[in-house]
Amino acid sequence: MKKFLTGLAIAGVLFSTHAFANDPAELSDVEIAHVAYTADNLDIRYAHLALAKSKNPEVHKFAKTMIRDHEAVNEQALALLKKLGAEAKDNFLSQKLNLDGDAIIAKFSALNGAGFDRAYAENELAYHRAVNALVGDVFIPNIENAEVKALFEEGLKIFKVHEGHAEMMVKALN
Amino acid sequence: MASKIIRRDVLVGAVTSVAALAISGGNVSSAEPKTHDVVIKSFKFDPMHITVKVDDTIRWTNEDLAPHTATATEGGWDTGEIAKGDDRSVVVSEGMDTNYFCAFHPHMKGTIELT
Repeated sequence: MKKFLTGLAIAGVLFSTHAFANDPAELSDVEIAHVAYTADNLDIRYAHLALAKSKNPEVHKFAKTMIRDHEAVNEQALALLKKLGAEAKDNFLSQKLNLDGDAIIAKFSALNGAGFDRAYAENELAYHRAVNALVGDVFIPNIENAEVKALFEEGLKIFKVHEGHAEMMVKALN
Repeated sequence: MASKIIRRDVLVGAVTSVAALAISGGNVSSAEPKTHDVVIKSFKFDPMHITVKVDDTIRWTNEDLAPHTATATEGGWDTGEIAKGDDRSVVVSEGMDTNYFCAFHPHMKGTIELT
């Protein structure tokens, strides 16, 4: 059974601002896969921006880990979709993530030095908290295919580690 | 036909055993280097602590989706990146650094005890 209210509450609080005309808890498996792929790619884009702008070695290490781990998850996701003969399907939440991500990248591009590092770290913490809540509380309970569910459970373990790592980075930079 | 194959296998096995005994002088040494397996799963080294001897091999196998490393804390040795399903080995040497971690996820730590 889809968790309508839970989905609305989490996505509404964590992904921002406007009430959704749609509910994340109502997304199909292939739509959820598209959201996850989009979220992974967005974090990879943030990381590339950090590598280009930051001079802090710890920020560089973190950014490289984000690129490495999220690429590994995406590679597995694509392989699974291929095996299942399925294709990820674009949807309102993927589009919203991309729009929000574009705005954040534009904002961060104007920052430099310690200001950029703090903004990047804080965004990484907030982003992973939001995505982890969405994946753990909304997506995983609603995914129907067992293999897709297992991949998301594995991915969530990785993203929780990232959340902890981002939390330490925020503390170190403040 | 099947029984011929079985007999030939037994014969080959026997010859191999005799040859092995001849090479080792008939002594079976308990000090032969061993391979110790460490599995990386759910962002942990399992076991986290291993006891080894010089010339033994430690083999790390990554069962996580995320790539990992086993890297000496002091930087003396490093497996390099271990992708999902891959393994990397290090031969134990005298005086090697016995504390290690994952360079990609530094909270992951392991220890080696040399005896």
